[in-house]
Parts: sequence; structure tokens; C-alpha cells
Amino acid sequence: MSRKRKLLLYTLLLVVLIISVVAATAIGAVAIPPSETLRVIVSRLTNWEQLTQNIPETTVAIIWNLRLPRVILGALIGSSLALAGVGFQGLLRNPLADPFTIGVSSGAATGAALAMFLRQLTGLNFTHMIPVFAFIGAFIALFFVFNLAKIGGQVPVVTLLLAGVVVSSFLSAVISLLMVLAGEDMQGIFFWLSGGLVMRSWPQLWFVAPYLVIGFLILISYARDLNVLLLGEETAMNLGVNVEQTKKILLVAASLITAAAVSVSGMIGFVGLIIPHAVRLVTGPDHRILLPTSALVGASFLVWADVVARTVLSPQEIPVGIITAFVGAPFFIYLLRKKKKEIRL
Amino acid sequence: MKIEISDLTFTYGEHAVLRGATFSVPTGSFLGIIGPNGSGKTTMLKLMSRLLKPKGGCILLGERALEEFGHKELARTMAVVAQDTTAAYQFTVEDIVLMGRAPYIGRFQSETTEDYRIVHHALEITGCTHLRHRAVTELSGGERQRVMIARALAQEPQVLLLDEPTSHLDIGYQQEILDLVKKLSTVDGLTVVAVLHDLNLAAYYCHELVLLHQGKIKACGLPQEVITVENIEEVYGTRVLVTPHPVFGTPQISLLPGMLNRHKEQKAPHLHLIAGGGSGGELMRDLNEAGYYLTTGVLNVGDSDWEAARALDIPVIAEVPFSGITEERHRENLALVTEASAVIVAEIPLGHGNLLNLQAALAAAEAGKPVYLLEEKQQNRDFTGGAGAQLLAAVKEKGIVVREKTRLYQLLKDEYPLETFGVEKKGAAH
Repeated sequence: MSRKRKLLLYTLLLVVLIISVVAATAIGAVAIPPSETLRVIVSRLTNWEQLTQNIPETTVAIIWNLRLPRVILGALIGSSLALAGVGFQGLLRNPLADPFTIGVSSGAATGAALAMFLRQLTGLNFTHMIPVFAFIGAFIALFFVFNLAKIGGQVPVVTLLLAGVVVSSFLSAVISLLMVLAGEDMQGIFFWLSGGLVMRSWPQLWFVAPYLVIGFLILISYARDLNVLLLGEETAMNLGVNVEQTKKILLVAASLITAAAVSVSGMIGFVGLIIPHAVRLVTGPDHRILLPTSALVGASFLVWADVVARTVLSPQEIPVGIITAFVGAPFFIYLLRKKKKEIRL
Repeated sequence: MKIEISDLTFTYGEHAVLRGATFSVPTGSFLGIIGPNGSGKTTMLKLMSRLLKPKGGCILLGERALEEFGHKELARTMAVVAQDTTAAYQFTVEDIVLMGRAPYIGRFQSETTEDYRIVHHALEITGCTHLRHRAVTELSGGERQRVMIARALAQEPQVLLLDEPTSHLDIGYQQEILDLVKKLSTVDGLTVVAVLHDLNLAAYYCHELVLLHQGKIKACGLPQEVITVENIEEVYGTRVLVTPHPVFGTPQISLLPGMLNRHKEQKAPHLHLIAGGGSGGELMRDLNEAGYYLTTGVLNVGDSDWEAARALDIPVIAEVPFSGITEERHRENLALVTEASAVIVAEIPLGHGNLLNLQAALAAAEAGKPVYLLEEKQQNRDFTGGAGAQLLAAVKEKGIVVREKTRLYQLLKDEYPLETFGVEKKGAAH
């Protein structure tokens, strides 16, 4: 892809994302015109107070304190999951690899569920500990999966996926057990596990953003290595890639992104699986284009998925993970049938 | 760049794959590694490309030990073309070849015009320029293999390792790829090491060969030193015929399948074959295989029937090349004819030089010995101006003329039954 076309693609996707964010902020139980929404956002970002003179204080509060952080967080989670998906799929050369199949998401979710269980058990305020538990859970899961999969100092793809499935199944059982033991707080854990952005605001956003930025920078700086790895690990070694070290760095980076995302939004499925596939159909397999494009598309996708989640059964909200699964699963089947060649990595 | 390998050993678990291999490859040489499946060829190549770590011994690349090279440094020195590179991702040919520049480009740099120049040069010498915008997934096996070689060349290596580069290709592509590789070594001074499973291609293209057998080097050196009947028989467990390439003189192998020395067993009926000029090769093979004790004569040294008899280990009375049959050889021939239970006369072209062979057949027929004459083509094969035809007619009168080989085999089977393999005898033992 030429430089000019790349630039055009990124610009287009960025414009789509900005429009999506503004539109999604305008949509809600109280409809606010997009023009007003835009004025509030711009005035807050630029400290230009005259812009919001004739807009009621409550509208400003709804937009700035309630809706916008949630929409932006959705965008961040969407790009995190898409990036992690690209990372895992490229690294493992497997279309089924994503944060879920290799057990990292389950690890994070188990950590979070455990934190909620402990909060109920001890009566202490554990809420701020949930992200920390999620992180620890994600890395413990990754550690187990990695060591289960390791054969003679190397981590073959097949054993890594098998270990991921085993650890995920085990962790699902642990979560189910915690749900049963938790009793009345079951609803809380359930909502967590289906993935949602309810009651999320600026603090969670600031929490997840740095990990996303760090993870993205690591992934993009290894984009060429990811490309070379697609030719097979032995070929990659022959082309001067330190394969084992590269795999470890990329696994940790993708897991970091995943854990940060899961710790604030729960398990939102299919984004990490679907977005990279869809983008690859347009951009081709080059990770230098695939990574930024997937991040942008994933962001817009989750923003709109969340809009549907909070409006379709309004005033009741449904977990956004249910929406992504409803959209994702048929789309995945469609991709499989239409483009068998590309899906078979 | 010179490669020196000394006392290299490797084990998979308990199983010793390589047991002390020592050889060296001079700069600009094309060395072929041959050997049967499981002899350690691919392991050898993987050790040389550092995909595997040896259990003992060492590999020197130029003056330095292989393990001293940095990851990227090694990739700038040595390129590897794997046996079957799966290309499932839709990269374009140019993208793939550009990956050969990866060891030269830093993590935060992008490709320079110099990189593109090198890539285009690699595409050009491998004949892939016209493919450069195609997706690798759309290419044929031969095209893809050429692209992989272009990618290897984009690494600007001094050493090129290839693992069975032609194993999935048909002969046209095989030749194309190996011609290219040979040129790279002779013209560009690239040191090439290739694992090859086709012995004839290996003998034809390589400057030197290493023959591996059960993890050890059985032979090493020039093709004619390595590809010998004895070596091939020992290593591959099959009988072959090694002849010089008709044009270039490199050793070429012909297979001789199913050859057992059953005919030496005394119990087998003795048949004597009179042949020459290529009329008897097939008969020899079939009768020998069937289990008869077969002899033949008189044949000129170098005659294709003489070659066949020698390859099949059939006793043959041989005359010096391009000369008529001498009295002495004729007498020897008559001795064998007398010994034999029957005489078979192949459809030989008749010349003044070999009329004595027909005389021998006539003598046998007159002595009451069955003489079978094969007459498949029924065309004039008398080049003596009448004498031959007359003699042949005389033999025919007393002998048995057979129109087809299968019919001949049937007649022989009925007349001279062969012992069947032990199966039926088992019951009698009790």
C-alpha cells in the first residue's frame, strides 16, 4: 500500500471515529443535538466558556461527566481488544488466537471476580482493587499457559492454544464457583463477565489509556518482526529475528493491553477476533498497516456496539458483550465462508 | 565464505541423529548432502543454520564459530531456503522478498531506496520481476520456490543453505532452480550447501557430495568418488547401475529393481541366452527375476546387452569391443550351451561378426536340445547378404519359434518348473 493511500485510510478512519464519538455522546435517554454535544466537548477541551453559554448546566454535566468518558472508554477498549487480537493472531499464526482463546481474558476476569467475592466476604471496600486483581489474574493465567505449553525451552503454537483452552476451561469453572458462593452478589459478577461499560468514567479511562499506549508502541515497533514471523518461526530465525525473545515481549504486551481492558470493562468477546480479520481483508497482512487500522476500526466498532447496548432495550441496558457476540458470531461465519483462503492463515 | 564442520554430533532424546560428522565446504563451492530418509540430512542443515544446537563438535563460518554470530549478523551472512515454505498469507512477492532485508533494517527505520534496489535485483536474477505484485498464495510451486530464493538473495548472504529445494517440483522447474543455484555458486562465489534427494541431480550439479548413512558420513568428495555402486548399495540397500552421463560424464544412476541372486542357486534350471545389440536386456531381466540360472554369450564388451548382463550379475562370455567372435569365445559359448537345459535366441540383428552365435544355437538344436527363437517384430534383420537368413532358417527348422515374450515365459515355465518359495513345503515338515 502506497504512503498516500495509507494516509488517506488513516484520515478516513479517524474522521469516522470522531463522528462516531460525537454521535454516540449525543444519543441517549435524553436526546441532545449533536451540535450542542460538539460545542460542549470543544469548549471543555479548549477552555472556551462562551461556547456553552446557552446550554443548561445539566446537559453539560450529562455530556462531560457521564456520556463522553464512557464513549471514549468504549473506543479505548475497542482498540485495545482489536490490537491484542492482531498481536495474538500474528504471533501465533492462528486465526483462533485472541485474548480469550489463550486464557488471558479468563485470567483477568477470574481476578476481578475474586476481588468482588472477597469484598462480599470481608465487607471491606475492594472496588479499587478490582483492576489490580484482574492484572494479577491475567499474568498468572499467561504464566500457566506459557509454562504448560513450553517444550524444551520453546513454545510451539499448538501446545500454546491447547494450554489456553485448558486454563480457560478451568478458570470458567472457578468463576462459576465464585458466582455460586457469592449468592446475592451474583448479579454483579455476571454483569462483569458479560462485559459492560456501565458506570465507567474518567478514572477508569485514565487507568486503561497508558497501558494501551505502551502496548501499541511495543506492538508497532515489532510490526516487521510480526510480518516475518508469518513466514514461520524457522524462517523468521533465519531472517535474524530472535524468535523466542520476540514472542515473549509480544505476548506480555498483548496481555498487558488485554488485562487493562478486561479490568475496567469485563470480558467483551469477539472484538479481538473479528476486527483483525475484517481489516486484513482490506489492508492485507502487513502488520505495519494492520495494527493502526485495527485500532481505529475496533474503537469505532465498540462505540457503536455500546450505543446499541444502552438504547435497544431502553431504559434497561444490556451488557455490550452480548451485542458484540450477536454481531460478531454471524460475521465470523460470513468471513469464514466467503474468504476461506484468507482465514486459513 | 568457507564452512568447516568438525566432529558434529546431535541427539533427539536418546536417539543419536548425527554421530561425528566432519567435512568442509570451500568458498564458492556447491556441496550436496545426500542420503536416505532418516540419515540426518535435514538435521545437518538445521545445525548449520543454527536452528538446532549441536550436542558436540563445532561449525566454523569463515574464521568464526557459528554461535558467536548475532541474530541479525548471521542473517546477513547466511540465507536459508526451507523445504516447503507455506505461504498462506496474502503478501505480495515484493513484500516477501523485501523481508529478506529485515536483518539490515533497524526497528524504527523503514526501507531505503537501496533496499528496494537490492530487492529488484534479486527479483531479476531469479526471473520473478513480472510476479512482484502478485500474491504469493497465487503462485505455482516452482514460482514460489524462486521467490523464496529471491528472498534469500535479498539478504545478500555469503552462504546459501537449501533443504530439498526441488522436492515438490517437476523436472523443468527442478532444472531451472538448480541451474540458478549453480550459477550463483560458480559466478557469484556464493557458498552453497543443499540437501538433495535426487542422486542424479546431486551428481550432476554439485561440485562435491557428502553421503550420510545413519548419522555418519559414508563418503565425501567428488560425485564420482561418492556415487559408486558399492556406496549406494550399502547405504540405500538397493542395486543400481552407475554409468557416466552420456554428455557430461558425471555419474548417473539407473535403478535395477527387484534383483536377487536367485539364479545362482544350483537347483534352478539353466538357460543359455543368445543375444546382442540390445535384443536381450528385457529377457535377461525377466528370466533372471523369475529365478532361472541364466548365462549368455558371446557379447561384445560395451554392447548394451553386455551392460545388462553385467548389471544383473549374469555369467557372460565377452568378446573385445567391435570385433567378430573369435574361435576361442565360440568354444566357451558352446560349452555353456551344452551345459544348459535349453537355449533361447533373442531377436538379434545378424552380421558377419555374430554368425558364430547362431552356429552355436544350430549345434544345440542338432544335438536335440530345445532351442527357442523369439520372433516378435518379424522384420528383416539380416545384414550379411543371405548367409545369416539361411542359417536362421536352419535353426528355425529344428527349433521352436515363439511370437511373444509372455508365450515364451509360459512355455519355459511348463517345461522347466521353478521351485516356488517355501510356502507350500511348510505342511510337509510335520
